[in-house]
Amino acid sequence: MKLYEYVIRRLILLVFVLLSVSVIVFYFARGFPTGIAPWAPYIHPKMTAEQIEEVKRAHGFDKPLVEQYFYWLRDVLHGDWGLTGAWAQGRPANEVFFNHFGYTVELAVAGTILTIIIGIPLGIISAVKNNKLPDHISRIIALAGYSTPAYWFGFILQLIFFYYFYLWGLPYLPSSGASDLGTATITRIPIIDGLITGNFAYVWDEFRHLILPSFSLAFISLGFLARIVRASMLEVLRQDYITMARSKGLKERVVIYRHALKNALIPAVTLTGIFFAYLLGGAMITEYVFSWPGVGQQALRAVMQGDSNFILLYTLVFAIIIVLANLIVDVLYAFLDPRIKY
Amino acid sequence: MQSQKTEARKSEWEARLADIKYTLHLLRKNKLVLAGSILSLFFIILGFLAPILVDPKLAYPEGYPGDMYPFKRKYMWNANHPIQWGSGVSLYAGPEFFILGTDGWGRDLFKMIILAIPVDLYNAAIITIGAALFGTFLGAIAGYSGGIIDEALLRITDIFFAFPGLLLALVFAAMFGRTIETLRLAIMLVWWPPYVRLMRGQVLSEKEKPYVEALKALGAGPFRILFRHILPNSIYPILVQATMDFGGVILTFSALMFLGFSPSPALPELGNLAADGYGHIFDAPWVLIFPGLTMLLISLSFNLIGDGLRDVLDPRLRR
Repeated sequence: MKLYEYVIRRLILLVFVLLSVSVIVFYFARGFPTGIAPWAPYIHPKMTAEQIEEVKRAHGFDKPLVEQYFYWLRDVLHGDWGLTGAWAQGRPANEVFFNHFGYTVELAVAGTILTIIIGIPLGIISAVKNNKLPDHISRIIALAGYSTPAYWFGFILQLIFFYYFYLWGLPYLPSSGASDLGTATITRIPIIDGLITGNFAYVWDEFRHLILPSFSLAFISLGFLARIVRASMLEVLRQDYITMARSKGLKERVVIYRHALKNALIPAVTLTGIFFAYLLGGAMITEYVFSWPGVGQQALRAVMQGDSNFILLYTLVFAIIIVLANLIVDVLYAFLDPRIKY
Repeated sequence: MQSQKTEARKSEWEARLADIKYTLHLLRKNKLVLAGSILSLFFIILGFLAPILVDPKLAYPEGYPGDMYPFKRKYMWNANHPIQWGSGVSLYAGPEFFILGTDGWGRDLFKMIILAIPVDLYNAAIITIGAALFGTFLGAIAGYSGGIIDEALLRITDIFFAFPGLLLALVFAAMFGRTIETLRLAIMLVWWPPYVRLMRGQVLSEKEKPYVEALKALGAGPFRILFRHILPNSIYPILVQATMDFGGVILTFSALMFLGFSPSPALPELGNLAADGYGHIFDAPWVLIFPGLTMLLISLSFNLIGDGLRDVLDPRLRR
C-alpha cells in the first residue's frame, strides 16, 4: 500500500469513527434524566406557547429520540451546534468552545515543551546509567509522576508556590486563572495576543499564570516519556552499529548523542504527538484545579449540568484531534524510519 | 498412554514453574520492585485489617441526614502538633490528639484514611480485572478469528480510543446515577480497549507457531487452542499492563469521586476525603494533603511492581 492510499483509508475511517462517536454520545447525553432540555436555551419567558412549539418543530425536539439525531446531524452540517445552557449564558456551543480553545492550546504547548525538556534527558540518563543510582532516581521520579493524582498535585503546587511563598515574603506565583489583565480577543491565544499588540505586561502576567498548571501537567506525563526513551535507548545501545562506533574509538558522548539518540527518539516522537493531542482535548482535572479557562473545564461544567450540545461538540472535536494526531504520527514515523512501509 | 499424558503435563508445569522462579529471581534483584511489593502488601494487609482496626461506624457521624452537613464544617489541627501550617488554621485544644487532624465532619482523618484504603483497593481491583478480562477476551477472539470479525472488533476499539476517557466516564456516571456500581462500569468502559490491541497482537504472533498447527492437526477446537494453549503463553504482557493499569485506575476512580461523583459525601474514600478539603486548601491543607499522599503511595507501589515486571518480562531486555 502506498502512503497516500493509507492516509485516504484512514481519513475514510475517521468519518466512520466520528459518526459512531456522535451516535453513542448523542443517545448518552440526550438521554440524561437530569440534563438541560435541548430546547430550553431557545426559550425566554415572553414566548407564547405557539412560538415554543415552533422552536421545537424547527430543531426536531418534538420527535422521538431516534429521529432527533438526524435533525441534530442536519443542523451540525449547517454549522449550527445548538445553544448551551445557562452555565455559559446560552451562547452557541461552538462560540463557547472556540473562545476557550486558545487557552487550552497555550497550556498544551507549554505542558508538552516542559515534558520534553524534562522527560527526554531523564530517559537518556536512565538508559546510559542503566541499573545504577541515576537510573533508580530517574525511575522514581518518572513513576512518581504518573502515580500522582492530578487533582492533588495541582493543589500542592498552589499551596507552596502561592500561599507559603506569599507568607514567607518570597516572590510568589498566581494560584489560579489565566490572567488578571483581561482576556485575549484577537487570536484567542493569550501570549500570542500580547506579543502581537506589544503588550508585554500582559505576556509576562500570562506567563506567570502558566507556570504552575503547565508544570503540573508535565510532571504527571513526563514519566511515560522518560520510560519510553529509556526502553528504546537501551535497545538501540545494544545494536551492532553502536558497538561498531565504540570500537572505532569514538567518545561515549559522541556515540550516545550523535549515533544512538536519533534512532532512540523515534518512539518518543510518537508518544509526544499523542500526548499533545490529548492535552489539546483539555486536561480536565488540571484546568479545574487551576481554574484555567480552557475547554476541558468547560466540558466538565457541561457534564455537571448535563448540557448535551456542548458535550457533543467537545467529544467530536476531541475525536478528530486524536484520530488526526495518530495519523500524523504514523506518517511522521514513516519519514523518520525508512524501514517502515505501509 | 495415560501415564505418558500426565508426564507430559507434569513436565509442562515444571517448565512453567522454572520460568516463574527465574522471573522471581530477576525481580528480587531489583530493589525498587522489592520496595513496591512490600509497600503494596502493606496496603493490602491494612485493607483487610481496616474494619478491625477502626470501627466503620465512625465514618458516619451521628445525625447524618443524607447529603447535608448537619453542622458548620470544622477542620481541626492540634495546638501542640509538631507541624504548624501557618495562619488561618483552626486549632483544637481538647483532650484527644488527632495525628493527621480532622476533616470537615470532625472525624479523625487518620482513621478515615485507613477505612478508605480497602474501598479504593477493592474497587480498583474489580475495575482492572473486569476491564482486562473483557478486553483480553475480545482481543483473543479478534486475533484468532481474523477476517470480518477482527476488522469489526478493531473498529469498535478505535471508536473507544477516540473518546476522551474521563469525559466518557463522567457522562456515563452522570447518566446512570451516582452509585459505586455505575462508577465501576464507567471506568471499565474506558480502560478495556488497550487490552484488545495487546491480546490481538499476542494471538496473531502465537497463532503462526508450529505448536498451534500441531494442535489443529490433532483436532483441537478453536476455544481449546485459544484459551488452553495460546492464552497461557501470552499472558505476561497482559499481567504487566494490568499491574500498571491498577495504579491508573485507582487514580481515575478517586478523581471521579473528587469531581463530585461520589454516592455520599461521608463515604470514606481517598478522593472523596480529598474533595472535602477542596475549598479549604489554604486554611486546612491537611485535609487534601494526606488522602492524596496515601493515594500517591498506593499507586506508586503498584507502578513500581508493574515497571519492574515489564523490564523483567520483556524478552528484548531479558538477559
